[in-house]
Amino acid sequence: MEQSRVLRFGAFASFINVFGVYLIALFFLLLGVVLQSLGVIQNFISWSNFLNIIDNVSLLGIVAVGMAFVTYSGNYADLSVPTTMALTGIVAVEMLKYGFLPAILAATAVGLLIGLINAIVVGKLKANPIIWTLAVNYVTLGVIRLVWANKQIYPETITDNKEAIALFDGIFRHELASNLFGNELLDIRLPTILMLVLMVLGQFILTKTSFGAQLKMTGSAKKAARFSGINVEYVVGMAFVLAAVTAIIGGLTITSLSRVGAYYNGTGYDFRAVTAIVIGGMTLAGGRGSMIGVLGGVLIIGFINNIMTLLGVPTLSQDMIRGLIFIIVVGISAKSLRSLGRDDS
Amino acid sequence: MTTAKPKTDLSGILSRIDKHRIYIIFVVIFVFMALFAPKFFNPFNLTTITKTMAMTACVGIGFTIVMICGQLDLSIGTVITLAGIIGLGLKQYVGYELSVPLAIVAGSFIGLINGLLVTKAKINSFIVTLGTMTVLQGLIYFVTGGNSIALSTPDAFAVSDFLSWKMMPMITPRVLITLVLVIIAQTVLARTRFGRNFYMVGGNKSTAWLAGINTDRTIILAFVLSGTTAAIGGVLFAMESSAATLNLGTNSLMYVISATIIGGTAMSGGKGGVIQTFVAIMALEILYDGVILFGLGNEVKIFLAGLILALVVLYEAFAIYKHEKTVGQRPELLKELQR
Repeated sequence: MEQSRVLRFGAFASFINVFGVYLIALFFLLLGVVLQSLGVIQNFISWSNFLNIIDNVSLLGIVAVGMAFVTYSGNYADLSVPTTMALTGIVAVEMLKYGFLPAILAATAVGLLIGLINAIVVGKLKANPIIWTLAVNYVTLGVIRLVWANKQIYPETITDNKEAIALFDGIFRHELASNLFGNELLDIRLPTILMLVLMVLGQFILTKTSFGAQLKMTGSAKKAARFSGINVEYVVGMAFVLAAVTAIIGGLTITSLSRVGAYYNGTGYDFRAVTAIVIGGMTLAGGRGSMIGVLGGVLIIGFINNIMTLLGVPTLSQDMIRGLIFIIVVGISAKSLRSLGRDDS
Repeated sequence: MTTAKPKTDLSGILSRIDKHRIYIIFVVIFVFMALFAPKFFNPFNLTTITKTMAMTACVGIGFTIVMICGQLDLSIGTVITLAGIIGLGLKQYVGYELSVPLAIVAGSFIGLINGLLVTKAKINSFIVTLGTMTVLQGLIYFVTGGNSIALSTPDAFAVSDFLSWKMMPMITPRVLITLVLVIIAQTVLARTRFGRNFYMVGGNKSTAWLAGINTDRTIILAFVLSGTTAAIGGVLFAMESSAATLNLGTNSLMYVISATIIGGTAMSGGKGGVIQTFVAIMALEILYDGVILFGLGNEVKIFLAGLILALVVLYEAFAIYKHEKTVGQRPELLKELQR
């Protein structure tokens, strides 16, 4: 009897752990509904607005998937993501003159190189992840500004190849679902689908593969992981490579969105992704959380942004509310973890 | 026996060099610039350097103390901006005599909140200060409506002129205030029990607690000091330029982090010092100044800053990596066996 109660409590706790973030999301959804029924905001409850919300956070979601692996492995965050995004975008635009596919391949190669360097230095040499990726961010920024001399480059001025430009523009704008099914209801863009696919893939890797299990072990207890025969260096390094992979996808998407390759593409995506990940229930200590939670965190940010925009809060002042909610959510989750005896700060 | 002794001497020297590496870096950069950079070695340029580094040097004091405690404060950049805006924005209502203390107190208050969240709510300092940074960013835009504040009254200019008055070669009052703060902080950190508590807490929190140190209070105090010095640096800079822009402190965060790490303060805590950070900031400032004097652009500056930070982090990581590989081994014995 006693044992079953404990078990039930454990099941409940793990349910809250995984889906608790959706309760918060639900709260903001209800907040939007209440605000609309009071007549403060309009158009919150509509299918098109919902798609709009997801569309707006899809880029963040894509980047957050890879970054989540780094957080999960107990290495806080990959702060080199912003300039990785910028560099891959610029390289892609520059290489468009050789066609669409070479552009994508070159961008991928450059992004993977940054990921590999991070993997070796943080994984193998065990440098402090925050400081190292910050330094890489700076070096990459310097490289971009040295080579491209502060210039922004536009696909149109790089090449006359209309086909390649159209394909590149399509990365962000392609409406896959409505094209496939001819359904107006599924009026979503490619990044949203990419985000959802990556989320599912990420969740699969985390929970169903041996790499995911090794990552969990490494994130929870690095020493124990090493002594049980896990190649900790490889696992941590792989997390950084995965972060680079999603940064490449994010970089191509944001460059396609803005139609310009520039050093400032991607600015802020490092901290924004961390916010989404941590709200989504992944703790910085590592080894805890899930991709489902991260998706919830991304959705919460989407809801907050949308409600504040509908309320007419100026974009730049929205940070205030976002930051406050961030601190409150993290505080509550730290407290609840402590009361469950799972404190690890 | 006779062969082993000079070897230990050598490694002793090497570790001492490593401990004081920032002074060597400083001298190398200074001599290089003095010899090769055009128009480097003249009073006007040297004063420019000291004036430019004054703000970051001031901010670096508190940031180093937080790092010594093994924590991180990402909010300093926005505290700098906020202090400038409070100091200048409230001047027309209450005058500098009240607005400047208010700005500094605001900085301390933000530090207090950071400290309380880190110690009492037990949230990772990276997350806490990331949150306060975001909140402050929004607050700054909310309060100012996105506009910079510029003062053009005679008394504001009088204060500005006073702060940039060349009282001594290379020294203006603002530089002097910074220097005094650095010296006080360094003395307290190195010479008093109160100061050494920060090292104890950063080195090993549980040991420090067992030794009877109130670890929570020490960490809170470190964050308060960080907020305070960031606010002092920001408000003084804003007063001297009679203007508070919204990106006053944007670049300072990365700059101060780099300087602190290059200066030898470990992010794991328990190591480092304010004076090392100060020298590192001077070295970086001289380097940047030289880059500009050589006629190279801002982009070279950014690239070099990143490269130096990367090299220092890489060097440190590699040293620890090598140390961990050989830890527990006794190379002298191995060598004797091989012989």
